[in-house]
Amino acid sequence: MPKELFVDPRATRRKGSLAFAEVPVHAYDTPFAEERGRRGDGALKEMLRHMLVVREFETMLGTFKATGAYAGMPFVYKGPAHLSIGQEGAAVGAALALRPEDHIFGSHRGHGEFIAKGLSAVAALAPAELIRVMEAHEGGALLRTVETFIGGGDEKAIAENFLLFGLLAEIFMRANGFNGGMGGSMHAFCLPLGIYPNNAIVGASAGIATGAALYKKLARSGGIAVANSGDGATATGPVWEAMTFASMAQYDRLWGEEKGGLPVLFFFTNNFYAMGGQTIGETAGWERLARIGAAANPSSLHAETIDGTNPLAVADAVARKREILLSGRGPALLDVECYRLSGHSTTDANAYRTREELAAWQEQDPITLFAAQLREAGILDAAGEQAMRDGVAEQIRKVTAAAIDPAAAPPVNVEADPILIGKLMFSNREAEPGPADPALAVAAEASSRVRQNLKKSRFGLSEAGEKLSPMRAITIRDALFEALLHHFIHDPSLIAYGEECRDWGGAFGVYRGLADVLPHHRLFNSPIAEAAIVATAVGYAMEGGRAVVELMYGDFIGRAGDEIFNQMAKWQAMSAGALKMPVVLRTSVGSKYGAQHSQDWTGLITHIPGLKVIYPATPYDAKGLLASALASDDPTVFFESQRLYDTTEMFHPGGVPADYYRLPVGVPDIKRAGSDVTILTIGPSLYPALAAAEQLQKDYDVSAEIIDARSLVPFDYDVVLKSVKKTHRILLVTEASERGSFAMTLAANIGRFGFKDLEAAPRVLGSPNWIVPGAEMESTYFPQAGDIIDVVCGELIPEKKVNRRGIRDWDDIALARRAL
Amino acid sequence: MADIPLVMPQLGVDIEEGQIDSWLKQVGDRVEKGEQIAMVTTPKVNLELEAPASGTLKEITVPADEIARVGDTLAIIAAD
Repeated sequence: MPKELFVDPRATRRKGSLAFAEVPVHAYDTPFAEERGRRGDGALKEMLRHMLVVREFETMLGTFKATGAYAGMPFVYKGPAHLSIGQEGAAVGAALALRPEDHIFGSHRGHGEFIAKGLSAVAALAPAELIRVMEAHEGGALLRTVETFIGGGDEKAIAENFLLFGLLAEIFMRANGFNGGMGGSMHAFCLPLGIYPNNAIVGASAGIATGAALYKKLARSGGIAVANSGDGATATGPVWEAMTFASMAQYDRLWGEEKGGLPVLFFFTNNFYAMGGQTIGETAGWERLARIGAAANPSSLHAETIDGTNPLAVADAVARKREILLSGRGPALLDVECYRLSGHSTTDANAYRTREELAAWQEQDPITLFAAQLREAGILDAAGEQAMRDGVAEQIRKVTAAAIDPAAAPPVNVEADPILIGKLMFSNREAEPGPADPALAVAAEASSRVRQNLKKSRFGLSEAGEKLSPMRAITIRDALFEALLHHFIHDPSLIAYGEECRDWGGAFGVYRGLADVLPHHRLFNSPIAEAAIVATAVGYAMEGGRAVVELMYGDFIGRAGDEIFNQMAKWQAMSAGALKMPVVLRTSVGSKYGAQHSQDWTGLITHIPGLKVIYPATPYDAKGLLASALASDDPTVFFESQRLYDTTEMFHPGGVPADYYRLPVGVPDIKRAGSDVTILTIGPSLYPALAAAEQLQKDYDVSAEIIDARSLVPFDYDVVLKSVKKTHRILLVTEASERGSFAMTLAANIGRFGFKDLEAAPRVLGSPNWIVPGAEMESTYFPQAGDIIDVVCGELIPEKKVNRRGIRDWDDIALARRAL
Repeated sequence: MADIPLVMPQLGVDIEEGQIDSWLKQVGDRVEKGEQIAMVTTPKVNLELEAPASGTLKEITVPADEIARVGDTLAIIAAD
């Protein structure tokens, strides 16, 4: 592969200094008369009204939390209320500059941004389009409820009430909230109005919005993505990772026809407090938040500090950044200074700030200031303002009355359907592949990898029964490649990325040869930023794309913990099915590299509800299961063993089919039939189990049936229980540390479901609860054939008791006492 | 003038074979020492083989798409 970027030592070593693009601070100075002339009095009055709607909505929630009643209506609201009172200028100003096709991704303090964006979209969309949007939501049921219980007048008025009621019902976790009561205050969204998920994890939207922007860029679906977060989020790794990912030079330098930066705006609502810690002077060192843009790229992310107290300044800045993003010069950053007059939450006693400071900022209340501006300009008189305030109060009162009325907003009835929430975890949908991209298909046929695979045997043994080398037979690495290639040819939205994915072909060569076939934007090297790798895939999927991303080692799952556990896993259910999450996360389980590069962490992933988990051990299974994962609309974590990449097919008659096929996810596979003991294996443990089975048969006349789990979530117990009915004994073998492993879960359930058939308790043989040692000691750590024979003959079939072969001569109860 | 063999190098401790992906030079071509003359593929990586000496590519003993073991002679260069 020729080098496209030359690292020139002469240029690199030359003396110089860095200059940073200037970062303006409060540069806005457009005369009000000019704004008035451009926008018109009506629009300015609407800005004030939108700020009042946000204020009254938040006040209502705060009042419920504080007093248990609002406007004479008693109601107990149990959930969170992270209010944005004082920050309305930022939310409404930004929304004024955004179009319906722009998508906002928010923070835990997102009600204001939600309402402002929604009101802006309602104002922008034609009445017929609004009706179409409302009719499309839950078959028009929510619209009917709004018409019946709130009313409103024309389409726009109805749509506003639809927006506010859908949000409030969601905050109250009602069945007809926008997300079916599965999202709540910190996760509400309404896709057709461009309001994408808010997020309870600080800074988590940055990576998701970046992935959304990637989709917008590649699919040319229009608009920009806005990552709303607070000043405190600038301390989080994932935000930096997102900005790094969004600023990659390759978009301009390597992406050919897809040249151009990502249309993502990092919008920091800077209220000076990260909960109680002060970002200026205490918990951060940037002094001005916008300074961090200078760290990202030569344009300093076009960063500016702007006055969030003035909605016109915010609208001006967002409109300018939007232009930059739509012309392919993104990303951009705005530091929007404003003040949160309300507490962080309703339990906030304001211990961290003084009355003087609060009073000083109350004088800078964006609503008071803007209303005064309108009055001074003669746009709105006192009576007009009062009428506006009364109108807003009445609107919020009506919406609230409906949202607390079970007839209008029924609670989610889990009692009536105890697995109602469970049913929302997965769509279990598979996308049918589209037609082949002819150009890609031709390029694939000409690629050396495809030609090489064509010459290989599909089965791992020659006709003479000799084992073929990985150069001469299809390996797991090849099988994975074939499934990926098929999906790339048939699914134009599919993109793949991760560390070293392109020129290197993935650290373990699975993608080798794909760079000859795919353009840069479909297969690229990511930064070493695991959180961004996964978060961007989540955002890309939310927008309608499909991504397969790679974490080089499973041990790096920790670096993307939130993104896998809270984002990838949760959004299908938190959206009550409105979102799908077609993301495949490939990760490899290492070998020979010791404690931080050789761990089987399937147990961590299977513990998290919302992820499908696959761990194949043969080429036939690897190809068919990866194809299923790539077709699935559900998020899947696909484990691969580095030790098995060169493994050839030894089981499936005829070998690995050259044609495309899928295998059902969740069905364990009997790899060797037997009658005396069942050995259920996870991943590469299949092979020591097979070796043990041969020995057991030969030396001890014990017939072992071997079942390869293949998938961990979902899991069909029937195959295993049928086997146990026959053998009455089961050993589960895994390379994961035993404590908390998925094998332990399987064993507990098999003990319960198969109790009457068992003559011994299910036994798990995993790795011990200590670090994976280096290559020289690995055989003392991962279960070996000798260890398996010891357990089968020593414990499960005691009459076969033989001299110990393995080294595991220890007392598990004593070890547990020692934290091992 | 001496015949210098181009051999399949040791590509990794656990790699025994490599496949000639393509020859970048043909028999009779002039080659310079260090010049890339063949692309080789192992299960994990693609890499380029360099001419071990300057001279003329005299013979290709393992044609493209064939598999060779580590240490096998792949071609002969008639050195200057």
